[in-house]
Amino acid sequence: MLVLTRRAGESVMIGDDVVITVLEARGDVIRLGIQAPRDVQVHREEVYRELQEANRAAASPTDDAVDAVARMLKKPDGQP
Amino acid sequence: MTTRTMSRPIEATMTDPSLGLPTITMATPMPGFPAHREFVLVRLNDDGLLYALTSIDNPELRFLVAPPEPFFPEYAPEIDEAVFAALNTKDPDRVLLLAVITAGQDETTANLLAPIVVDRDSMRAQQVVLTGSGYPVRAIMNRAF
Repeated sequence: MLVLTRRAGESVMIGDDVVITVLEARGDVIRLGIQAPRDVQVHREEVYRELQEANRAAASPTDDAVDAVARMLKKPDGQP
Repeated sequence: MTTRTMSRPIEATMTDPSLGLPTITMATPMPGFPAHREFVLVRLNDDGLLYALTSIDNPELRFLVAPPEPFFPEYAPEIDEAVFAALNTKDPDRVLLLAVITAGQDETTANLLAPIVVDRDSMRAQQVVLTGSGYPVRAIMNRAF
């Protein structure tokens, strides 16, 4: 891991087009500003991990599971 | 419009070019699936409430998705302008929300924290994390209609 020391207002560049700026450091809380291209999504790590796990759990359900969901979501007869 | 039913295998539907299924391109891949950018949206039941989002790169990968509104009437997420830019959205009213559904043994849940936002004109999509919204990743699905 590369370790750098930065002050508030200073930045780090990752590659050509990702800029991370330290906006404020107060106690053990540091506020970062991140500039990245549109095709680079930026997430808090714990949120990303949770989403990754949720997507993996949702991926490729069995045909039986799909049938069960389809039945559950079916509208009662007579409704539009 | 042809109605597709559960009895028809998804793979058979996908290989029928006459149906002209919409191809959706992920502006950024879904977390956990970096290699999959192109998907087709296949309707799974007559009510139009359940769809399979199936990877073109690997048809064995599919997600169940549904519009969240019928199940979660109070659900009204705010979409960041940056998302519209990434999707080349010209009219925010033309975006479609789809919730990823997890089919479980005991309960079925919908991911309300990170819906898939689809621009109907550009057919570009992104799974958007609604940071700070308080929406759950696993919201139990009930029939609210």
